[in-house]
Amino acid sequence: MYRYDAVDRAVLADRAAEFRDQVRRRLSGELTEDQFKPLRLMNGLYLQLHAYMLRVAVPYGSLDPRQMRALADIARRFDRGYGHFTTRTNIQFNWIRLADAPEILDVLAEADLHAIQTSGNCIRNVTADPYAGAAADELEDPRVWCEAIRQWSSLHPEFSFLPRKFKIAVTASPHDRTAAKVHDIGLLLRRGRDGATGFEVIVGGGMGRTPHVGPTLKAFLPSERLFSYLEAVLRVYNRHGRRDNIYKARIKILVAALGAEAFGREVEAEWEKIGVAGDLPGSEIVRIRDAFTRPELADSPAPGDFEARRAAEPAFARFVRNNLKAHKLSGYTIVDVSLKGVGETPGDISADQMDVVADLAERFGQGEIRSTHEQNLVLPHIRLADVHTVWKALDAARLATPNINLISDIIACPGLDYCALANARAICVAQDIARRFEAPDRAEAIGELKIKISGCINACGHHHVGHIGILGVDKKGEEFYQLTLGGSGAEDASVGKMLGPALPIDRVTDAVEAIVDAYLQQRQDGERFLDTLRRTGDAPFREAVYADAH
Amino acid sequence: MKALTANRLSDGEVVFWKSGAWVERLTDAEVFVAEDSAVTAETSARAQPTLAIDPYLIDLVETEGFWTPVSYRERIRALGPSNHERHGKQADGGDAVEALRHAHGAARSSGRVNLIRRK
Repeated sequence: MYRYDAVDRAVLADRAAEFRDQVRRRLSGELTEDQFKPLRLMNGLYLQLHAYMLRVAVPYGSLDPRQMRALADIARRFDRGYGHFTTRTNIQFNWIRLADAPEILDVLAEADLHAIQTSGNCIRNVTADPYAGAAADELEDPRVWCEAIRQWSSLHPEFSFLPRKFKIAVTASPHDRTAAKVHDIGLLLRRGRDGATGFEVIVGGGMGRTPHVGPTLKAFLPSERLFSYLEAVLRVYNRHGRRDNIYKARIKILVAALGAEAFGREVEAEWEKIGVAGDLPGSEIVRIRDAFTRPELADSPAPGDFEARRAAEPAFARFVRNNLKAHKLSGYTIVDVSLKGVGETPGDISADQMDVVADLAERFGQGEIRSTHEQNLVLPHIRLADVHTVWKALDAARLATPNINLISDIIACPGLDYCALANARAICVAQDIARRFEAPDRAEAIGELKIKISGCINACGHHHVGHIGILGVDKKGEEFYQLTLGGSGAEDASVGKMLGPALPIDRVTDAVEAIVDAYLQQRQDGERFLDTLRRTGDAPFREAVYADAH
Repeated sequence: MKALTANRLSDGEVVFWKSGAWVERLTDAEVFVAEDSAVTAETSARAQPTLAIDPYLIDLVETEGFWTPVSYRERIRALGPSNHERHGKQADGGDAVEALRHAHGAARSSGRVNLIRRK
């Protein structure tokens, strides 16, 4: 974890004090709602259907136990005992009182957390590989770059009022767990021929009403030139991005309109003007790298009774199969903590569960917790010898659902149950599908299948990159759902294609089951759902869903 | 029939207009038969910006003896989130809550434009 210094802490304390005064002036009538709204949004405070919602930044998805306990404290004292992890790896509290918001910012600041830039047309929280620093397949820990980007972009005077919000993802693994290609900028860490590191820079991806898989603007950018290049991209976007139409204001629209080549030429010209003066000195990167605490990992610790337990306990073996991932060091593993219990709200976590995760991270996990863009948590450094104990504790807290990457590991935005923008509910659709596929043997037999549900075209539920995407639409005032097939947010990124006419809410789960049944009929050895779909096309699936319509 | 609704400034709670004040339950809300009186109430409500945010009128339909919003968005506002039945006004239970749950007559919320602008 990155450790805050005195300057970081002073900034947060000042910001909380400033917001306390702004809230006071709003409650007294000194500020109108129109004056106050941009101020509260700059502190992550939205007004939703039932109450205020506070979105707290979880920088590149990294938390320590003290921070997780602070979130639990907020959930208990100021909310209704729970929080909701989002697809930007942030956490939202749904039942906040305006008058409490400044005190909550104080509580966050004491734990080196804040809600700055979780709203507004600025550079938002950076997405990082949730397995960063632990993954067996990564080149180096990408969080150092994420932290450098966070410091560079926080309260950046030039980039605080962009045409629209701006999202950056960083990964250092060939297997993309960040959906980098559908971010405004995706940075894929690579090693050059000389062994030095650099980034493949993807610009202009995005979801929303106009989904794009971003083109590669630069195949290899030396890492020491990252910040001048980011500045050039942002400056070109700030200069030419549309401000007349909110729906055409994201950088993806500009890149598509100009063409990647022409946009790239503009960036190169700007980059040349900026020169190396726009880059962070190497000493800054060293300072930031040194500010990270390093986990104290032993050299190949003994696995204890891990294998014996796995052989003897089928439920534990299932958890191991689905929720453990390869660690870079032998004797350790990465543990995925599912926030997708059957019948639960995807991404929701109670205050008691937060405390359990904090305790486990502290006792067994080197004090590290990650949140994922797929709305789960990760304990990235668990000794194999401790996995059984961790599993038992997670299971007792209903956090051990063995469904990572399976059909019930569904992304769902808050939808119309909370969100003022939504057209339809998303949570209840996810719950219904999860219940239908509750049997774990069946879910494992189906294999990797990512369902992603959004309650409106803004696509917070990432439906465009769902293997099965589900989009809630308002059809003559009724909740209907549009199905798309074939999306992917991974390294083989693609945007799903619409399958057919939208369906009423009571037909969605049946349609998903029909798609799954068609897949199982068509599947060849070793194929995932996505592989089968890409081989067969969507005709068998369309036939399965809409057969009754003929 | 119409009712006037908003979110309370201090805590965001969904509130309804009743004779110059705000109440928390739709069953307690003033129901406007005449368009003129509804618009007059909306004007009065807008003159209280430290109490409630962006008041707007919603259409109602009778369901099981209660006035319920025509739009499902407004029914969710009047009930609470469907994934947490103990949260929101639905936690009280009772016939009025059941009537809201059973109501039909979905239509785009008349307050939708304001809701988007407000977020």
